[in-house]
Amino acid sequence: MRVLALRAAILALLLLAWEAAARAANPLLYVPPSAVLPALGRLLALDSYPDLVPSLLLTLREIAVAYGLAIAAGLGGGAALGLNRVIGRAYGPIVGALYAVPAVVWYPSLMLFFGLDAASKIAFGFLLGFFPITLAVLAGIRQVNPHMLAVARAFGAGPRTVFVKVMIPAMMFTLVGGLRTGLALSVIGVIVGEILGSKSGMGSLINHAYGLFRTSDYVALVLVTLALIVGSDAIASVVEHRAQRWSE
Amino acid sequence: MSDLIVVERVGKRYQTTSGPVEALHDVSLAVGAGEFCTVIGPSGCGKSTLLGMLGGLVAADGGRVLVDGRPVTAPDPRRVATVFQEAGLFPWRTALENVEFGLELQGVPRGQRRARASELLGPLGLRDFAAKYPRELSGGMRQRVAIGRALAIDTQIILMDEPFGALDEQTRMLMGEWLLDIWRRTRKTVVFVTHSLHEALALSTRVVVMTARPGRIKSVLELPMPHPRAMESAEMTALRARLWGEIRDESLRAMGER
Repeated sequence: MRVLALRAAILALLLLAWEAAARAANPLLYVPPSAVLPALGRLLALDSYPDLVPSLLLTLREIAVAYGLAIAAGLGGGAALGLNRVIGRAYGPIVGALYAVPAVVWYPSLMLFFGLDAASKIAFGFLLGFFPITLAVLAGIRQVNPHMLAVARAFGAGPRTVFVKVMIPAMMFTLVGGLRTGLALSVIGVIVGEILGSKSGMGSLINHAYGLFRTSDYVALVLVTLALIVGSDAIASVVEHRAQRWSE
Repeated sequence: MSDLIVVERVGKRYQTTSGPVEALHDVSLAVGAGEFCTVIGPSGCGKSTLLGMLGGLVAADGGRVLVDGRPVTAPDPRRVATVFQEAGLFPWRTALENVEFGLELQGVPRGQRRARASELLGPLGLRDFAAKYPRELSGGMRQRVAIGRALAIDTQIILMDEPFGALDEQTRMLMGEWLLDIWRRTRKTVVFVTHSLHEALALSTRVVVMTARPGRIKSVLELPMPHPRAMESAEMTALRARLWGEIRDESLRAMGER
C-alpha cells in the first residue's frame, strides 16, 4: 500500500514538473499532460484518426503472424541446433553472432524484399522474435538433466516421447522466458517497421502525427500503443508464472 | 529354478580422455526367478555398468545378456524396471504422476493408470503425498516414489542401483525392511547393487562380490536362511566377517588406484 502511494506521488510530481516545464518552454514541442488528455479523448472518440481501430487491428494481426512464425521457427531451429551435435556446432555460433547485430540494419533489405505493406513488418517482427526463442530452446536443451533422459529411456521412451514428455517440460521455464522476450521483440519489430516506412498500422499513424507536428495526437497514439505492449507483456507474465510453478 | 537372467562373458571398455578404461572383464552370472541377488564391490568396479546392461541401457562389448531367454538390446519395460541411485523423478509431476509415468508410456488409459498408481501409494507410505511435487518430499519419500514408478509397470524383474545410497542409515534400514516386505509379497526377481554389507546380508538370497576395476566376479555367497534375519546371530556375524574379508582387499586396491 505504502509502495503504491509512493509510486503515485512520484508520478504526480513528475507530471506536474513536466506540465510546468512544457508551459515554460514550447508547449508544441514538449506537449504538457494537460494537452495530452484531450488529445487522447479525441483519438479514442475516433475524431482525430478515424481509422484508429483498423490500424490497431492491422498492427495486432501483424504481431500475431510475426510472433507465430517466430515461435514455430525458433522451436524448430532451437531443437535442430540443440539436439543435433553437428548442426549445433556448425550454426550455433552463427546464430549467437547474428543476435548481437542490431537487427534494424536488416530492415531496409526487408522492405526491398517484401515491399512497404504488412509483409515487411511481419518479416521484421519475425526476425526480432526468432533469435531469443531459438537461443532459449538451445539453452533449455542444455539444462535438461541427462539422468532424467536415461530414466525415460529405461521406461521405454523413444526419442520423440523423450522430447515431448521430458525435454519440453524440463526446459519449460527457460523456454517461457525466451517466448516472453520473443513476444516483446516481435511487437517492437512490427511497430518500428511501421514507423520506418508504411502506409497503415499504428506505427504509420504515429509517423503521420509526428510528421505533421500534431504533437499532442502523437503522444496520445504512443500511449495507446504502449497500452497494447504492456497488455501483451502482462499476459506473457501470467503464463511465465504458471510455468514457474513447475520448475524446481 | 530356471535362470531368468543370464549374463555370458560380458566385458565393457569406456573411452576416456586419458585412454581406454576397462570397466568389466569377462563377467558371467545367472539369476533365477524370484531371487534377491545383490551385487557388491568397491567403487568403480562396474556394478552399475553391469546393471545398465541388464536394463538395456548399456551395450556390452563382448558376450551377451539374456532375459527370459532373449538377448537384451534395448530397454524392455514390459519385463524389466529400474530404480536408480538418484531418484530421477520428474519435478513437474506430482508423486502420483511420477508413479504413473511408465504406465503412461505403455498407453494405459488415464483412469486405469491413476487407479493402479493410487493403489501403490498406500504400501509405499505415500498415501497423503499423492499430490505433492518431488521438491516437497524427503529423500526417502522420493526414493519410494521412484520404487513405486518401477513397481507400477509390474515387471518380473526389478533392477536397483544403490537405491538407498543417498539416504541416512536409519532411513536406509527402514527402507530395506520395507523393500523386503514388498519383495516377499510380489515374488519379483531383484538385482540389487549396493556398497552396504548390512544391506547385502539382510536382504539377499545371494551375494555376488566383484573385484576392483576391471570388474570381475570374485565370489558368490548363497544365503538360503529365511527373512527377517537376526543380524546379530553368530551365523550372520561370521558371514559378515567373511564378506568383509572378500571385499576389503578389493576396496584397498580400488583406493590405491586413486
